[in-house]
Amino acid sequence: MLSNFVSYILQGTAITVAVTLVALPAGLVVGLLLALVHTYGGRVANRLASAYSLLLRGVPPIVLLFILYFILSGDFINLSPFWAGSLSLGVVSSAYQMEILRGALLSIGGGQMTAARAVGMSRLQAIRYILLPQALRLAIPPWSNEASIVLKDSSLVYALGVPEILRRAQQLSATTQQPFLAYGTAALIYFVLVFAVNRGLDYLSERTKLPTHS
Amino acid sequence: MKRVVFFVSLLVAVSLVLAGCGTAKAGNHLDAIKEAGVIKVGTSADYPPFESVDASGNKVGFDIELMTEIAKRLDVKLEWVDMPFDSLVAAVQEGKIDASISSFNYSEERDQTVDFSDAYYTSEDAFAVAETFTGSIVNPEDVAAFKVGVQTGTTQDGWLTDTLVAGGKLAEENLFRYDRVDQAMLDLKNGRIDVMMADYIPAQALVTQLGGLKIVYHGVLSTGPINIVIPEADAELKQAINEIIKQLQDEGFIDGLALKYFAQ
Repeated sequence: MLSNFVSYILQGTAITVAVTLVALPAGLVVGLLLALVHTYGGRVANRLASAYSLLLRGVPPIVLLFILYFILSGDFINLSPFWAGSLSLGVVSSAYQMEILRGALLSIGGGQMTAARAVGMSRLQAIRYILLPQALRLAIPPWSNEASIVLKDSSLVYALGVPEILRRAQQLSATTQQPFLAYGTAALIYFVLVFAVNRGLDYLSERTKLPTHS
Repeated sequence: MKRVVFFVSLLVAVSLVLAGCGTAKAGNHLDAIKEAGVIKVGTSADYPPFESVDASGNKVGFDIELMTEIAKRLDVKLEWVDMPFDSLVAAVQEGKIDASISSFNYSEERDQTVDFSDAYYTSEDAFAVAETFTGSIVNPEDVAAFKVGVQTGTTQDGWLTDTLVAGGKLAEENLFRYDRVDQAMLDLKNGRIDVMMADYIPAQALVTQLGGLKIVYHGVLSTGPINIVIPEADAELKQAINEIIKQLQDEGFIDGLALKYFAQ
């Protein structure tokens, strides 16, 4: 009976991981575009990206999740709770990822862009071949922090009816009246996942480190 | 700052417009369900013996078995959508699910946004206390002298709020609202609250399971008939479900379920 319960919570792990695997890359794509626009775009683009980031970071994720869920899962677009929840988390995360990448881009300094332009590269070429390769490497440590936050925030989608780890733990707590066991199992799974993600990204950061950034 | 306020209000306005856009669907909902061959029913599977999950994660309980039979007689497959109790009515209203069965009592507030089937069972309210409780609860209003716990969004929550808090008898800070009834029961056992108001049957089940608790009062205050929640003005689905409930009552199917799950 007990092992069944634990395996029921474990099945939620696949869903938690799936939600994270949708939200993180979605946030990365949007965040990277916005970071580039913010750093190298014109004034209007810059302002818009700033406003986006300010807005999304100023509201609790669960509130945005509910608002976006009703937009993404309404009559015009009708996504399943899983997709609506995961993409909403991705939107929330995109603002934070934008700030991380923007910081990384700024830390490289304007001189490299000027130098790249001087040797005849276009702005896009300079971004693609000179700036991004350095910035992405620098962004890995702060990004791994965001990755673990998204992984843990994925528990919010339970409010939309996605049966991930937390929701399953709640059900088992209700059935067995053993909240410590149910939530303890959930906590352990989250911890192992976050630990694995952080360790993996540390390794990636070590492996891709440039000799100039020792 | 002004700009932030502007953008926030813009976002709120846009989401409200989008959320409000035509919940009315063209065509007949019942036909759409039959055509799809699937009815999506919402429940909050953390409320034994009405709905919960067993050791293998299967949904079990009175409501679960009843809905399974209703779907069978509608000749469609049943797809469960599990979500927290207080999200269910909104989900029916927004058309995310076709109906919801989760030990719902009729209430005027809920009736403004969704419809109800005929009753399939009648429930009572109960007050549970610790066995060591020394206070006296003769009339329901007597609980106003204690710290009271309740599940958010339930009819009991409504009764306590409307009758006792709004009536000035119970101080707002002495009303403790919980996400789920089992959390409240654990706090009752741990002495954080003095009295817990809940549906009689689940309260009885929890009192037996947890031990050290007893029920001091039961009767109809906020509860009464239990119904299936269906979308507003969905006459065809309502009629179909009502007919099946009638059949099941006549055949003694529902009494059998009550015997099996509530031992009454």
